[in-house]
Amino acid sequence: MKRAKRILAACAALILAAALWLPCLHLFFARPASAFYVKEGLSPKARQLAARQMQLWADPLLRKQELDRMRLSNAEWDFMGRSFLVWALANVGLRDPSSKPACLQTMDRIIDETLQLEQQKGLCFFLMPYAKDRPYLVQPARSLFLDGEIALMLASRRILQEKPEYKPAPTARVNLIVNALRRSPRLALESYPDECWTFDHVVALAAIRLADYLDGTDHADLIRDWVAMARQKLVHPESGLLISSFATDGSPLVGPEGSSLWMIAHCLQLLDEGFARDQYDRARRQLSGRTLGFSYAREWPDSWKGPADIDSGPIIPFFEISAGSSGMAFIGASAFGDEPFLASLNATLDFAGFPSRKKGALRYCASNPVGDAALLYAATLGPIWQKVKAGRNQSL
Amino acid sequence: MTFWQRIRRFWRADIFSPRGFLLRAGVIGAAFLALHLAGLRDYASVLNGTVGPASTGWKTSAFLGVAYLVVYMALVILAPILILAAGILSLWHRRRRQQ
Repeated sequence: MKRAKRILAACAALILAAALWLPCLHLFFARPASAFYVKEGLSPKARQLAARQMQLWADPLLRKQELDRMRLSNAEWDFMGRSFLVWALANVGLRDPSSKPACLQTMDRIIDETLQLEQQKGLCFFLMPYAKDRPYLVQPARSLFLDGEIALMLASRRILQEKPEYKPAPTARVNLIVNALRRSPRLALESYPDECWTFDHVVALAAIRLADYLDGTDHADLIRDWVAMARQKLVHPESGLLISSFATDGSPLVGPEGSSLWMIAHCLQLLDEGFARDQYDRARRQLSGRTLGFSYAREWPDSWKGPADIDSGPIIPFFEISAGSSGMAFIGASAFGDEPFLASLNATLDFAGFPSRKKGALRYCASNPVGDAALLYAATLGPIWQKVKAGRNQSL
Repeated sequence: MTFWQRIRRFWRADIFSPRGFLLRAGVIGAAFLALHLAGLRDYASVLNGTVGPASTGWKTSAFLGVAYLVVYMALVILAPILILAAGILSLWHRRRRQQ
């Protein structure tokens, strides 16, 4: 056969083979959504992710290595990895009572160390270096990023099991947030100097809801006022999505971002169900993508483009896939029971997340401890929110 | 023909032949196995902006992480296509010979 004809035949065979293989590839990674998230009990993946995370907190050397690696890129990740893990373990303990003692032990270790570090090393230890570039507008300086997540950690711990030593701390922290919000004319608190994040506000308000549930207080008016302000001032007009950050005077800084929005929608479930569903549906329409059976999430909607940063992670060109947004999309999909999206995201995770399993413990090599902790939270969320929504009388 | 002669003949196969395709799929598989056994999977953390283990620094981590990623993608996307194409091409050659 002539060489040209041979080359042509080989190319045709390659094209035909690609047409056969590429649409089938996702089938090798396809699992039902229940492999990742179940309504009751723990999914196999949740169990394996929890085993790895608890291993990290049982082995100081391993923990140091992993945290040092993350802190080289972003000190926030060290802190958020702790937050997501504590929130996740509270749900794990409620889902699987046999694991409750181990969960409580790990949660207490994380909370105690985090509070100690915050006290010893100061506000900036868990923040990015630019927190030191200029002073906070409101003095004495506080970061809602730290206060909100710590308050939610402490409240989650107390919901799993009350601990008298932890009662004053979250109450004081919640009171700080409540008083500061009431003093702020725009209901906006700084996480960084003159930089307020929607993510941090909804986490803090969720912590306030948990505190109301635990202590019988009532901050419904404050929550209502903040949601009304957010609907009016923080919604990006073109996409209808909440913006990520704004200045203390309420002017927008960064538009809607997937790395924030999925978690924002989940926290809004405790604050305003209708608004939460609206934000999730919009994010699903404008940020999610699917190629060859693999789902992923983009960082920005078509109507707004921001710079790739530490939150978005590297953006894969053409598809505009963001590792940060795709990871956080698990939280949205689990929280809103979006099984098709969750199953397809899970296929992508197993395809491109490079899972590594050892002795029943799972980690993703393309992720890091904060990413894995966020995935664990996505795989276990539900019981805490359900308890708080049901109210104290119903769940006692 | 001895075993080594067969191997040598296989190695020298034309790139646009079923053997050539299988050989390249095999090379991709061997490259992936080597990188995997060398522990480069851990460097995939560069995908989220975290350096690889053992504090290798950003440049080395990025190089090793991207190398692993490229070879993995070649293994799961390109190698199966090459194997399928080798099968399709073999069938086509057999049909032509029968005619």
